[in-house]
Amino acid sequence: MSNLNAPNSPFVPFSPNPSIQSGVPTATPPLSASKPAQLGSSNLRYASSRKSIYDRHLNRTQRSELSKASFAFLFGEMIQYAQKQVSGIQDLEKKLNIQGYAIGQRLLELLLYREGRSAKRETRVLGILQFIAQTLYRHLFGKPADGLEKSREHEDEYMLIDHDPVVNSHISVPKEMSQLNCAAFVAGIIEAVLDGSLFPCRVTAHSVFSEQFPSKTVFLIKFEESVLEREAVLQ
Amino acid sequence: MVILSILILNKAGGLIYQRDFNEGLNKLSSNDYLVLAGTFHGVHAITSRISPVPGSGGLEVLESDQFRVQCFQTLTGTKFLIFAEPHQPNIDVICRRVYELYADYVMKNPFYQIEMPIRCEQFDRQLVAYIKPKQ
Amino acid sequence: MPIYSFYIFDRHCECIYVKQWLERERERSSFRPQTANSTISSPATLSEKRVSTPIDAPTNARPPHGRLSVQDDAKLVFGVVFSLRNMVRKLSGPDDNFISYRTSSYKLHYYETPTNLKFVMLTDIRMDNLRVALHQIYINLYVEFVTKNPLSPVEHKGGEGVACELFELGLERFVQTIQDV
Repeated sequence: MSNLNAPNSPFVPFSPNPSIQSGVPTATPPLSASKPAQLGSSNLRYASSRKSIYDRHLNRTQRSELSKASFAFLFGEMIQYAQKQVSGIQDLEKKLNIQGYAIGQRLLELLLYREGRSAKRETRVLGILQFIAQTLYRHLFGKPADGLEKSREHEDEYMLIDHDPVVNSHISVPKEMSQLNCAAFVAGIIEAVLDGSLFPCRVTAHSVFSEQFPSKTVFLIKFEESVLEREAVLQ
Repeated sequence: MVILSILILNKAGGLIYQRDFNEGLNKLSSNDYLVLAGTFHGVHAITSRISPVPGSGGLEVLESDQFRVQCFQTLTGTKFLIFAEPHQPNIDVICRRVYELYADYVMKNPFYQIEMPIRCEQFDRQLVAYIKPKQ
Repeated sequence: MPIYSFYIFDRHCECIYVKQWLERERERSSFRPQTANSTISSPATLSEKRVSTPIDAPTNARPPHGRLSVQDDAKLVFGVVFSLRNMVRKLSGPDDNFISYRTSSYKLHYYETPTNLKFVMLTDIRMDNLRVALHQIYINLYVEFVTKNPLSPVEHKGGEGVACELFELGLERFVQTIQDV
């Protein structure tokens, strides 16, 4: 790692693990201290081997699960936090979308890495949507999406259907905010995955009431012009 | 299982949820229910005071000719009152399930303000599905 | 199964009779015999005490820290019973009667006569419904020895006239039979 860069490059190889770091970082000190913290001086705990979460193998948590309750509490707090800073339903959905966006960007890389040698870069709209409906959904929620449809009125619109989004399972939106769908968070994740695969689009979450599935949600994916043109060429 | 109605009181004794499931109790106005809740809260506190044996909790079961109330007090001071028929078995199980539903659909709801009246649609739906499945 | 105490309240919301079997180490007055265990004290001293306690608490009896005096206890019990009775009436009509309630360490049984005379008994939690027993106390003991007593007043203000010997004896014996069951 220390031999990769040219001697006068502006980039300094940086790793939180001081044992493999070379060069001198000019701006910020490394994330983990060079010596273990003294007792009573700070509340941070450091593993004695000085390895951090960034040094773990990426596939280590592939099979791990998170309790739904923990996520529900965290997500509830995220919504309350977002609510304090915005002044309308559109803004709130946008804030949740941005929160999901950051996750989606990284998730795309992780999932493609985990697919290994068989990973294929999706170039067709249907391909990437299948990736989202199957792989991404399975990774996030343990089950594939419940439906994928193409809109008949608009060429550039596709709909991903989820009968009972996990993120909304504990949330009851009050009547005065009935337009809000907190799955805007998941819409953000989807949007980031699509943007990262070079399918620029806009994704929004809409609640559709049905007798059988009272909290059915439809993610409306609206692609930009460039995507349609490319699709037409590849056809 | 025939449950007549459920009341939930917050820490201060205020009524935060009231719902009738079956006929059997008189229909009172919402003000009456508020007064009832406050009275019950006070009585619950006194019953632990007048105990002849030291270290008693509050009132747990109240019996009358036509109904029976079971009061479940959580560690946080919230009281769940379940009104049922006099010979209804397994009210404990029902109490615990209602508490579970409360923890799931009220406490995890970001739009619910603690100690305020409960207006969560999911909680209502799940409760009705549990207590009165046919309807 | 122990029985802890027994109260009678008249229709003027006054406590006219109190009997406690569980020593609560609360009063150091000269009236009370210094017994440490919860056995039934001798009727003579108790009846003496019975007459005076509901009227005026002995001025030298200060309850130790945290414990209530007998009078306060009786007032609280009456308050609880009255509120619960009203609550039950409101919820299921004027014909319904509140029978008993249970907490984690005691059970309170209640019986009200058509003349608004209230009989309250506090027992262990395992005791079954004592409504019938309270009814029996009313007809066999109260009516016989108190109401039919030509010397007792009509209104038992301050508990006067209730704690006569026959009534006390009968009550003791009756409670023994309940406890042994």
